[in-house]
Amino acid sequence: MKFADRIQKVDRRIIYGILALAVILPLVFRLGLKTYTTTPVEDLYRHIDAAAGKDDMAIIMDFTHDPGVLPELYPMDLAILRHCFQRNIKVFTISFLPQGAAIIQLALSEVKEDYPNIEANVDYCNFGFKPWSLKLPIMLGMGDDIAEAVETNSEGLKLENLPIMQNMKNYDNIQVVVEISGSSMGQFWVTYARAKFGVDVAVGLTAVMAADVYPFLQTGQFVGSLGGLKGAAEYEQLVDIFAMNNTEFSKKNARNMAWVEAQYKELPELAKLYKYNKARIGMDAQAIVHVLIILFIILGNIGYFLDQRAQKKKFVK
Amino acid sequence: MTETIGIWIAAFLTLCMFSFLYKDNPFYKFAEHLFVGVSMGYYIPYTFYNAFIPYAYEPLFLKKEYILIIPFIIGILYWFRFSSKYSWVSRYPIAFGMGIVGMGVPMGMHANVLVQMRTMMLPLNNINIILIFFGTISILLYFFFSKAHKGVYGKFTSIGIWFMMVGFGASFGYTVMARISLLIGRIQFLLGDWLGLIK
Repeated sequence: MKFADRIQKVDRRIIYGILALAVILPLVFRLGLKTYTTTPVEDLYRHIDAAAGKDDMAIIMDFTHDPGVLPELYPMDLAILRHCFQRNIKVFTISFLPQGAAIIQLALSEVKEDYPNIEANVDYCNFGFKPWSLKLPIMLGMGDDIAEAVETNSEGLKLENLPIMQNMKNYDNIQVVVEISGSSMGQFWVTYARAKFGVDVAVGLTAVMAADVYPFLQTGQFVGSLGGLKGAAEYEQLVDIFAMNNTEFSKKNARNMAWVEAQYKELPELAKLYKYNKARIGMDAQAIVHVLIILFIILGNIGYFLDQRAQKKKFVK
Repeated sequence: MTETIGIWIAAFLTLCMFSFLYKDNPFYKFAEHLFVGVSMGYYIPYTFYNAFIPYAYEPLFLKKEYILIIPFIIGILYWFRFSSKYSWVSRYPIAFGMGIVGMGVPMGMHANVLVQMRTMMLPLNNINIILIFFGTISILLYFFFSKAHKGVYGKFTSIGIWFMMVGFGASFGYTVMARISLLIGRIQFLLGDWLGLIK
């Protein structure tokens, strides 16, 4: 069999095997490839960080996603929560999917174990699961009164009686709504909450959806976005180099790799935990697989053109 | 102990799913059916206890908020879908649903059309805005079929195809990244949580 035929007819199981090795090897033997941050991720970090230490400002994290997209979105959940707990930023969590409620509990408990001083209903409040059919009344109602629209937290306690709500009234007290989902849920926040009340909205999305948000980033309807595992890796890095070292965000520093490397050397042990580096470690494997796929595409095309040329010659003869 | 059992079950089911890459087999089918069953089994009681009980049953029957009888009855009309004779009744709650969609039209127009158009009307003073301007115009003209795509007009509309191809390429690249991320997630689980090879 000729070379052209051979590369056109490789058994798919061989390709899967090579792909598996390309994922496994970089995860076991870490490459430590550099992470370069991009504007949409830096903008989101800067927006959230602006609420640091303010008693009358909070962010809303909407966990409307299910376990199927956790590999991409869960590192975002952890990175944003770690940012908030580290920088004393108040957080409200909510989900319009039943599965999302369990993910909120998991993420909160995982980050909270490293921040023993953080208290439920004081530093953060979990609104829990709210039925999908109530998303519009809740989104619109929060523009007037958050406690009245949401009513109770995940434990069934009235919001109006909770300490965290003392200085919180409506979207004027919300720094940014961060929608983390594998769907177009972020559009709902833009259409209803941003269009009517002007609240800032940002998204954390699966990579499949990431290309769709660029028109909304350009118009400023989304103030920032995290696209897939790459976005999560960038956010992890920003939390490490700024929040963990209690340094103010600076775009110039974020892009100065020598400065970034220096910050990494001074990180506390907490930041080195595997769970807070998962996206960056995953991106090592991602980079290798991308190179592999590019090679496959080139080889496939070489095979195709060699085959075409051979057939043309045969026809001429 | 419970966590360990959970990790072993999850690892076994992950391997069952991966076995499909070799070929279809009973292990894959078992895991696939189990996934559908467990998803529904989780979703139905969770929704019942966290949606129906607090938002329908308790206000209506315990707090005596009788105004809720109206949406309650409208909701029940959905069940007529299961009757071949009276399935038309279920169109009434659907009509209410459509009314809510209508409520979103003005705000949707503002967010998805007007604001998008406004950014197209900025001064062409940097390369990004110039590219976006030409890209939008050439793609819109490509989809204008009342004039033959010939000559200078045809060449201009073909620029629109190039812009679209770049867009499709970006989407495809992101899709590859998404699928590989899912694989990475499962491999991280198998190597880390299950086998303890990465920490």
